[in-house]
Amino acid sequence: MESKVCYVCGKENLTKNEIGLTKKLLSKGTKRLYCLDCLAEYLEVDVEFLLEKIEEFKTQGCTLF
Amino acid sequence: MIYADNAATTKISDHAFEKMLPFLQEQYGNASSLYSLGMKSRQVIEEARSKIASAIWASPNEIIFTSGGSEGNSCVLSSITDGHVITSSIEHPSILNTCRALERKGIDITYLSVDNKGLVSLDDIEDAIRPDTRLVSIMLANNEIGTIEPIQEIGKYMRQQGILFHTDAVQAVGHIPVNVRELCVDYLTASAHKFNGAKGVGFIYKREGVPLKSTIFGGEQEMGFRAGTENVAGIASMGYALEENIAKMTKIADSLVKFVQATIDGIRAKVSDILVNGDPNNSLPGIINIVFNGVSGESLMHLLDLKGICVSTGSSCSSRNETSSHVLMALGLSEKQAKSAIRISYGRYNTMQEVDTIVSTVCDAYKKITGADL
Repeated sequence: MESKVCYVCGKENLTKNEIGLTKKLLSKGTKRLYCLDCLAEYLEVDVEFLLEKIEEFKTQGCTLF
Repeated sequence: MIYADNAATTKISDHAFEKMLPFLQEQYGNASSLYSLGMKSRQVIEEARSKIASAIWASPNEIIFTSGGSEGNSCVLSSITDGHVITSSIEHPSILNTCRALERKGIDITYLSVDNKGLVSLDDIEDAIRPDTRLVSIMLANNEIGTIEPIQEIGKYMRQQGILFHTDAVQAVGHIPVNVRELCVDYLTASAHKFNGAKGVGFIYKREGVPLKSTIFGGEQEMGFRAGTENVAGIASMGYALEENIAKMTKIADSLVKFVQATIDGIRAKVSDILVNGDPNNSLPGIINIVFNGVSGESLMHLLDLKGICVSTGSSCSSRNETSSHVLMALGLSEKQAKSAIRISYGRYNTMQEVDTIVSTVCDAYKKITGADL
């Protein structure tokens, strides 16, 4: 299976959480995937905050994670 | 945090909150008890009943307290035990799901379509009426797009026809003038948390002489129509909340109209590919529903949330579901467009400074999602 790579820093093997969060916050059909650090920088929020959001989305039953 | 989801719920006002407190720890008597502590609770409930009746031009004996809008809607519709009911396709789930339950009991339901502004047509209602039509239920104002329905026109016709008429006024009461006599409604339902009262309390207006079936069995509270120990604190504060909102209604509405216009103008100046849903000339003050073509409304909502701004996508009650808004689909929007919408709903505690922040944050979020250079 093709490795998912961060659009900004090139980090390979993005996790399911990183892929799910990018799709959740930007677009389900996005081709531009971000690692957690780059997504936090792009959206101008803390990584810890994004981690909290991931847990919230999981609690809501989001199937992207 | 900027709260701009006042169509979902509102912050309880300081006044209404303070009015709740004595009935939680000091005057906690059961209103059905015959000693003084209980009689004080009874007195407070009857004072609130009078305030609410006065606010909507009803008589106190026509007000029945409930736990909120869903209970009220369910109770009114469940009073129909046979024949045919007419409603619209853009009603709140508490109406639509009760109708589905009635269908399972053999009652026929007609779901009327609406035009692209969300308006129900009286002609369509006239065409749908059958000899066995028992009830027509049309919302006063829609919770997702704010469109105000022609309730008075429909009500007058229903009165002539001798058909019972209910309006779900949950979104309207406390925000626009509501006069049950002028509207010619037989039943009206409302919920306190939509007009800066507490959650878990609401009321049914039942015109004197029309039938209503109790759906909760127990004691004889609420003139035998709604069993259960009364929520004295919630009821007391609801009376004050409604009285307060009505006293400030014109001033609040003026501000909300300005907020809405500033939001639409501000977003449109930077994002051209938007569609504003609803009826701009006939809408509740404060509600804006906007489609951002090509963008996921859910993503937009979450990016705003990351910046501390609360808005909704679809409707607040269904935003956890994957399904598209039934209201937006009924307007003729495609599924893709319906999934590209957000609702911003302002309330009395919002400021123009917050509106400016929302506009710039929405445009920034749009830019992040699309990569557009605004």
